[in-house]
Amino acid sequence: MARPRSTAFDACHAAVPATLFAGVAALSMLAVHPVFVALSLAGALAFSLVARGASATARGLAWQLPLLALVCLLNPFFSASGSTLLLKVGSRSVYLESLAYGATMGALLVATVLWFEGAAAVLTQDRLLALAGRRARSVPLVASMASQLVPQMLGRARAVRATACSCTAAGPRPPLRDELLRTSTMLLSWSLEDSLERADAMRARGWESGRPRTCYRPERFRARDAAAVAGAAVLLALSAAGAWAACSSWEFYPRMSGLSPWWSYLPFALLALLPALAELAARGAGRGEAG
Amino acid sequence: MSALELRGVTFSYPGGADVLRDASLEVPEGAFALLVGATGSGKSTLLRLAKPEIAPAGELSGSVRAFGEDVRSLGPLASARAVGYVFQSPDAQVVCDTVWHEMAFGLENLGVPEPEMRRRVAETCSFFGMGPWFRARTAELSGGQRQLLALASTLAMRPRLLLLDEPTSMLDPLAEKDFLAMLFRVNRELGVTVLVATHASETMLDYATCAFELAEGRVREAPLEGLRPEPSCATPYQICPRVFGTFGPESGAKSAKKTRRDLMQGGRAAGGPSGGPRGEKDLLVVDDLWFRYARDGRWVLRELDLELAAGEVRAVVGANGCGKSTLLAAAAGVVRPQRGRVRNAAATSQALLPQSPKALLSRETVRDELMEWSRAGGYGAREVEASLAELGLEDAADRHPYDLSGGQQQLLALEKLLLVRPRLLLLDEPTKGLDRSARERVAARVARARAEGATVLLATHDMAFVRAVADRVSLMFDGGIAVTELTGDFFKNSWLYR
Repeated sequence: MARPRSTAFDACHAAVPATLFAGVAALSMLAVHPVFVALSLAGALAFSLVARGASATARGLAWQLPLLALVCLLNPFFSASGSTLLLKVGSRSVYLESLAYGATMGALLVATVLWFEGAAAVLTQDRLLALAGRRARSVPLVASMASQLVPQMLGRARAVRATACSCTAAGPRPPLRDELLRTSTMLLSWSLEDSLERADAMRARGWESGRPRTCYRPERFRARDAAAVAGAAVLLALSAAGAWAACSSWEFYPRMSGLSPWWSYLPFALLALLPALAELAARGAGRGEAG
Repeated sequence: MSALELRGVTFSYPGGADVLRDASLEVPEGAFALLVGATGSGKSTLLRLAKPEIAPAGELSGSVRAFGEDVRSLGPLASARAVGYVFQSPDAQVVCDTVWHEMAFGLENLGVPEPEMRRRVAETCSFFGMGPWFRARTAELSGGQRQLLALASTLAMRPRLLLLDEPTSMLDPLAEKDFLAMLFRVNRELGVTVLVATHASETMLDYATCAFELAEGRVREAPLEGLRPEPSCATPYQICPRVFGTFGPESGAKSAKKTRRDLMQGGRAAGGPSGGPRGEKDLLVVDDLWFRYARDGRWVLRELDLELAAGEVRAVVGANGCGKSTLLAAAAGVVRPQRGRVRNAAATSQALLPQSPKALLSRETVRDELMEWSRAGGYGAREVEASLAELGLEDAADRHPYDLSGGQQQLLALEKLLLVRPRLLLLDEPTKGLDRSARERVAARVARARAEGATVLLATHDMAFVRAVADRVSLMFDGGIAVTELTGDFFKNSWLYR
């Protein structure tokens, strides 16, 4: 089955999703506040479900939820502060506040990971590279070459390993360390050999021609994209202000207190849910056209 | 005016003998010209001299002109407009990770303004029908697509002369035909002059307008008809008659409808008196095998049954991507089937020759390479020296294996496997990219290994190789074995494979 693909951010310039996802992820990491973290997690999960599909999300949660639980349960053993004593393990006291702080940090971690996964689903590498400034023209090229080489190296490493496994007539396999050394030496000389021909292929197509390089941009930045980026920036600024206010009044220890009024969370709630809503809207529109 | 003109060109690498000696050649504008010659005869050197950016370092005398101009006097823009160059390896010559970026790469280097760049990329992609995979990642492309991409990205720079160095030798037959048909369209419809260096000229003769042969440093014009293979294409490779005297198409002159037992008897009879010892039992039995790489991927192998008698040489043929390599990996026990099983009586004494010999060659010198498994194989320096002599590599024993030609690398890798005397030999496209003489030597070596008692399972596209070495042929399709017949019967009954 084909992987469900994001549609909402396909039809706009990469700068729009880049701004949105970078802003949400940054705010999620900085605002250590149970409400903000809960909103961020909810938004990230919603987007993951819509854009990446239930099975991909579930596969991720299979390791992310245990991580959350681990951080939550370990925190009381590192910081024994708080006022509501839940139980004593040996000489350590476990407080409700410390457990809540652990849960918040764990959820923050998972939300951040989910946002990055979501961003990766929307922003393929070539879109991201096209954002690089006009000054850094060879940076995208170098990154592009490297990202082509990594899968090639991995494929070759598999071929080398499969060959070594198959040749049982050559006696028992060498110890793991020797084999790793052998494989890496082989891959290195193989790549070096390739790089000679690749360098020639580059020169044959005008590399080092001495002329200033131009840049083929696969997508163009239009007024509509500028408006979307501006909108996202305003929403981000409002959310940041709300987060600043909420976090400065909130305290975990000794007792959780200082919840700010509901409207200070509103901009961030909107921001966190925006990607999922946009995706749903785009799908709905697509279905309407198809029907 | 001729597109390419070499006049009295003599060239030698630093400290080496002359590769080209007073070579002269004239390719008329609009021609589809072939440059043939044995491996190592200097075809690549000659082509590269016409593209100064990649010309080898060495001593050059004589003149190399493209469209009347000395190529060394051309600036980068003029050089790109005059001469384009396509290399052999689909893996090494693709630079960028997406198709659109690869198409734009050369134009970016030359500083072509963006609107012009868009036009050229769009026109070239339309010509090649690349629209559907324009935004694909290059790592996901097949070898044939990568090679087409290399051709297209060179043509986006609009050269008037296109030089290609063995462009199809790493492709399977179908991809090769697609590539050549496209190259022919480039030649006829766009009027680009084409010069292809190749050791397999048969596939290009229908397109070619003239041919040049390079031998002993000199170029002479070769009549196209002279390059056609003999009409009796059933003639297998010339391989050592001592081992292989009684083998050939006549071995399959019996009825095509036989029981399996009969087939095995036939297979053994086909081996002839010098065919080596034959066991009664099957060495390898594959029973109802199902395999796929990802849990929700397509089945690469499905309902696959295969019995390989001890001492048999079995060829597995079929289109690209039909699962031949996966079958070899499953037989070797490297991939674990989801269903079904493999019984391999030689599981502890098998060897696999991978598609690229580089996945096997791991030492600094040719001699060390052959010595690597000497302890397990119970052989020593004496046997290695004998092998080196047989390979004709005595002088190259201390060189790095990568300094050998592709054919020599393949023979070296095969010899390395055979020195440990495996009972089961698995070969994955052993003649890919090799010239005829190297193919014949591989065939002779496989035939000798068989005579010494090895059982061989090989996957290949090379039908002449199949005729030369195989007892029986299995046609693979849709993840399973469609038919298995004696080699002679297979070719007699086949509509497609000749």
